[in-house]
Amino acid sequence: MVELVWDPIVVTTAILLGSLVAYIILMIGHKITKPRLTPEKLKTYACGEELKPEETHMDSEQFFSPIRRIFRPFYRYIQPAHTGVLSTYLLWVVVGFIIIVIIIMLTVR
Amino acid sequence: MSLNYVIAMLLITLGLYCLLFKRNLIKLIIGLSVMTDGIHLFLISMGYRTGGIAPIVTGESTSNLPNFASRAVDPLPQALVLTSIVINICITAMALSLSIYAYRHYGTLDPSKIRRLSE
Amino acid sequence: MIPQAPILAIVVPLFSAFLMPMIGLLSKRYNIDRACDWFAVAAMVGTLIVVASMAPTVWGGQIIVYKFGDWSPPWGINLAIDALSIQMALMIAGLGTLVMVYSVAYMQRDSRRDLFYTLALLVITGMMGTILTGDIFNFYVFLEIMSVASYALIAFRRDSSGIEAGLKYLFIGSLGTSFVLLSIAMLYSFVGSLNIADLGAKLAIYRGAAQPVPTILVASLALFVTGIMIKVAMVPFHIWLPDAFTAAPTAVSALLAGPAAVVGIYWVARLPYLPFGLPVGIILVSLGLLSMIVGVLMALTQRDFKRMLAYHVISQKGYMVLGIGLGTLGSVLGAQGGLFHLLNHSIYKSMLFMCAGAVLYRTGSQKFEELGGLGKNMPLTALTFLIGSLAISGIPPLNGFVSKYTIYLGGIEAGLPIVTIIAVLVSALTFASFFKAFSSVFLGQRPKHLRDIQEAPKLMLFPMLAMAVVCIVIGLFPALGFNVVGPAQAAAENSAGYIGHVIGGI
Repeated sequence: MVELVWDPIVVTTAILLGSLVAYIILMIGHKITKPRLTPEKLKTYACGEELKPEETHMDSEQFFSPIRRIFRPFYRYIQPAHTGVLSTYLLWVVVGFIIIVIIIMLTVR
Repeated sequence: MSLNYVIAMLLITLGLYCLLFKRNLIKLIIGLSVMTDGIHLFLISMGYRTGGIAPIVTGESTSNLPNFASRAVDPLPQALVLTSIVINICITAMALSLSIYAYRHYGTLDPSKIRRLSE
Repeated sequence: MIPQAPILAIVVPLFSAFLMPMIGLLSKRYNIDRACDWFAVAAMVGTLIVVASMAPTVWGGQIIVYKFGDWSPPWGINLAIDALSIQMALMIAGLGTLVMVYSVAYMQRDSRRDLFYTLALLVITGMMGTILTGDIFNFYVFLEIMSVASYALIAFRRDSSGIEAGLKYLFIGSLGTSFVLLSIAMLYSFVGSLNIADLGAKLAIYRGAAQPVPTILVASLALFVTGIMIKVAMVPFHIWLPDAFTAAPTAVSALLAGPAAVVGIYWVARLPYLPFGLPVGIILVSLGLLSMIVGVLMALTQRDFKRMLAYHVISQKGYMVLGIGLGTLGSVLGAQGGLFHLLNHSIYKSMLFMCAGAVLYRTGSQKFEELGGLGKNMPLTALTFLIGSLAISGIPPLNGFVSKYTIYLGGIEAGLPIVTIIAVLVSALTFASFFKAFSSVFLGQRPKHLRDIQEAPKLMLFPMLAMAVVCIVIGLFPALGFNVVGPAQAAAENSAGYIGHVIGGI
């Protein structure tokens, strides 16, 4: 039907073989040196403060703050527009309908 | 017959106005009902023929079917409107029962105050 | 083909829905637990068998036409099934079966399960009717059946967020279907017929700008497009969807995200060709691009698991509408990519919602802050979520890559490389947000109150693993998908063949 540029089975075999080789290297490395875990290694650094493990969860809303900074003019208008008020949503529907009427009139006439 | 169409469009616009600018859930439901009534009026007045007769086949009309067919009012929009009235009863009933639950949970019928889910 | 198969595909779920309260009453009297659940699954399996029996006939090149009461079109209502309808019907029946098996396990803590299955089977009936019918008012009736049943399903648990989401969906959805009714009324007043094939034949003189298009036809087309776009949840008509999918029980979200997207996209695929023949490509492409971008950017900043998945539904539906819009601008690959993406998206999106539902069922919370480190407790759920995340981001060798790659090629083929650039960027942002979701929920440190969480019940795992296997299989052998999608796209464009089959010679 459609010419795809690559063959899926060949690439999948290559991916699986590569991950198998990586796993073997990892296992050889584990046999040579064993990891020595102390509780100090598992703690997160909080500038000298004591932090419980439950509080070390990253805030999900600010996780992508660089992306928010790049798209800031977008976020300033769209995020407050999802207000939660029903009448605003219905107003968006009617405005969208009027825009669609205008677009169809311009492209069909 | 264009008076019917004007009134139908007026009803649709009034219903839309109620939906967009009123601040009480019951008024929104009334607005939705008025808007669909406008659409039904539009549908029925589409099938009307001036000086027409009811489209029921009786004994004396079967003798002269072409005359009957050219004088009878179109029955198809009437069937569509009957179906649509039933559907709108279901929607109104469901909207009213949801409003009762909303009043129990939120204590108000103002849709701009029922907004715990936002953004 | 089973005799009377087209009408049985609608009648089997409908009558099962009406028998369900009686079976609930009987099971309570004789104390048989779970009788309603297995009856619902049996009804769905029956629908799947009926639909699958029609498939070889349709893929052989024939369009099945079924006349109600032996009235021939255009005076009677008929069902017309071509390759596009059969793809959608197979998806609804197959995914509906898996979602029913999932909801047997998910809804077992709720009371009044017989009412839940009644409503779910009514939604399936509405969906089957919408895509199998050949009459435009019949389409409106089945669309309303589907919509009203889903308003009730979203508010099923009658908690405060469910009621709020149900109310908002009800008002926005009712406005949309009123627009569709007004559009049908205007169309009937202009043309005088309600049959889709007949409308296509009579409106064919306006195709290709041979004659100036009258205003009433422009208004009718705009109202119809607006109504369909509300159902498909394109921006700016999309706002009911995040609230509805967050507040609904997750089995309902899986049902609406997978099969119910099919109905909207089926009509978007038919819209440029039948019953109006007018060019709507620009609207489809621009709405698709807007939805892709808005969906993924809003999904990056969510705190709630299911709300993030709901915004991704909007973004992926933007891909499908974009692909079909590219198809009208001259790119065959674009339309095939759009329909193939519908096939893939329904599979992996239902699977992702099922994983979120399994986590919610066991832990009781769906916010990212309260979850963490569940990979050790629920390994199979984590594995299927990983496969779903890789599939939605378009990573080879899973099925998402095949359909997204086809859409990228379609963008270049239609002469709009900016579309390909934006689509690749949106894929990257999708991957970023699923990366955050996966590591927030399944990796990392585990809070103390989640130490004894068990794996999801086996009945929930079975549909998730089945869908994961299908994802991998379609990714490795994409020819399986193209054998379904290629005839579907050809049938969508071949409106003359449809009209000829239904009206011309029966």
